[in-house]
Amino acid sequence: MRPLRVFLSRWQNWLGLLIVFAFTVVSLAAPLLSQPNDTTWGAFKMVGRSTDFTPHPPSDVAPLGTLPRQIDVYHALVWGGRDAMIFGLSVALGALLFGSLFGAIAGYAGGAVNGVMMRVADAFLTFPALAGVVFLQQLVAVTIESLGGVSFNSYYHGPVADFQFTPPPFAVFLMKVDPILISLILFSWMPIARIVNTMVITLKQTDFIQAARAMGGGPLWVIRRHLLPNAIGPALVLASRDVGSSVILQATITFIGLGGASPWGILLSLGRNWVIGPGGNLLSAWWVFLPMTLAIIFFGVGWNLIGDGLAEALDPTATIFRRTQPHVND
Amino acid sequence: MPPFLQFLIRRIFAMFVSLVVITMLLYAGVMLTPPEARARLYLPPGKGGERATEQYIQNIIDKNHLNDPYLVQYGYWAKSLLTGEWGYSPTLRADVLPALLHRTPATLELSIFSLLLLIPLGLANGLAAGWRPNGWFDGLFRGAAFFGTSMPPFIFSMVLISIFYVQLGWFAPFRMDITTDLLMTKIGFVDYTGFLTIDSLLNHRPDILLVALRHLAMPVLTLSMFHWATLGRVTRATVIGQRNKEYIIAARARGVNEKTLLWKHALRAILAPSLTSMALSAASLVTGIFVVEIIFGLTGVSQVIVISMQSSPDAPAALGFAVYSVLMVVGLMFILDVVQALLDPRVRDEVFKA
Repeated sequence: MRPLRVFLSRWQNWLGLLIVFAFTVVSLAAPLLSQPNDTTWGAFKMVGRSTDFTPHPPSDVAPLGTLPRQIDVYHALVWGGRDAMIFGLSVALGALLFGSLFGAIAGYAGGAVNGVMMRVADAFLTFPALAGVVFLQQLVAVTIESLGGVSFNSYYHGPVADFQFTPPPFAVFLMKVDPILISLILFSWMPIARIVNTMVITLKQTDFIQAARAMGGGPLWVIRRHLLPNAIGPALVLASRDVGSSVILQATITFIGLGGASPWGILLSLGRNWVIGPGGNLLSAWWVFLPMTLAIIFFGVGWNLIGDGLAEALDPTATIFRRTQPHVND
Repeated sequence: MPPFLQFLIRRIFAMFVSLVVITMLLYAGVMLTPPEARARLYLPPGKGGERATEQYIQNIIDKNHLNDPYLVQYGYWAKSLLTGEWGYSPTLRADVLPALLHRTPATLELSIFSLLLLIPLGLANGLAAGWRPNGWFDGLFRGAAFFGTSMPPFIFSMVLISIFYVQLGWFAPFRMDITTDLLMTKIGFVDYTGFLTIDSLLNHRPDILLVALRHLAMPVLTLSMFHWATLGRVTRATVIGQRNKEYIIAARARGVNEKTLLWKHALRAILAPSLTSMALSAASLVTGIFVVEIIFGLTGVSQVIVISMQSSPDAPAALGFAVYSVLMVVGLMFILDVVQALLDPRVRDEVFKA
């Protein structure tokens, strides 16, 4: 297969595959790499007194040191990798599913319905994701409050006088939903919908199919040769980039304190006061920021490399530039 | 009708349609909540949270038609948006629209400086890199652009702060430092536009201009880097597609020298696709603006959501902010479209001939 051969012929793609493979292994083997203990909540493990606000350098109990309140960096890094992988893949799969469904339905309906639905998709392009994230979270909070709950530190409780608050089923459902996940899916499906839409409309224009058939190709050949490279490829490229970018955006939102539960983002915001260690030395407390920073950067880079590689391998018109290639007109 | 006017009317109409669609979607999101929750959008000052009685909420629901069908409610809401009644935010302790407008100059200042830096640089570097693919400059550019797109802005900003603020002391976070702020109060600094850089010139204080630029440098750098890299990559890819086209070869055969070929002929051909890709990612640019503002403590528009997320639920602020940020994106797209049309020789020549 040509695309596979092109994909595997570049070292950048191998690097991307290696990085993503490493993250996958770490996220699958997280329980083996770092055992939770009785002070573990979520991705965080405490290895010392919670009143100790000094980050301690790497030791036997904490291989990558600790943050203020003695949170183990290594444990949170490993389990945070698992959370990041699940989050990124959910966003990408959600966007892929919703985008292809939306684009396909619009394309099948055709005509005015197609126009209106694609206008809606365009309208989503004018929406900054950050505003959507905040808007959705506030809607959830206001709904739960109007149903009788009280939000405190982003957990919802009953009114103080009545601690046996039993939230209505709708509120229970809302408490379980991750608004960041929903909004990131809501703001990344449009390009995929557009591509699938074009594919479906092309499929309907049977002239194109007939012309390809007249050349002697069966329907499978037409689909494989003409439709797959044009539609599935770009959709996969976008989805694989979404995995990295959504994890980075989630960490960013968590870091600036607008909600979200990215363990890497929480780690960075816990350690941000120690980035410049005592004496103004950037590297005197390297473990409070360097491991998470590298993890986030490599996660993004890995998926971006795969996305770029796929884009090039699946592009039917691309030629690989070589230094020896003469300047000829194609 | 001159073609440029036609173009403008078409763009303004498209912008209007976009705004209607997106506000309808926003209100559809609001409609998912029960009417009691929607009533919180209309709570007047001093009636926040649990202090509002059930009867009071019921009155608000009746008065603002919150039990009516979706389209009727949307109509009333759109009317209140147009008349400037965006609700009262309990966490800001202010009306939402004035609060947003009051913070806009800081945001605009940051975005204008960044766009003026990143668009010319992105176009020029992408052109130069794509003109000779695999040349030394191309290698350099691709490395820098890869770094630019892979480095999350909030991490880059931490690196900048630790180097240029803590170690070297050249630049500073926040919008203004306390000493200059006190000085400004003392000399009776007049806010003409709200832009610190322009106001300092209008007040004949170049020293304050320097301080303002010192505070702007890191946010502008952070914001520009990612979008510079994206724009440069798109430009590079377009140039690679264009550089062996017939019109370039014909011009080269006529004896046009390489520099003119690159900076005149090729530049014109790549402007439209590059700026279009920029317009399509305008929303992510605006998200970037908010993130950078929050990280560097510039008290811009995004301060509204930061405050509203800190304490009790505040739907009016979040909804108002969402509408306002969509307005920003649509405005940015419109400006990029117009600039692109002005620079496109096909449209521009018609305008000047008419």
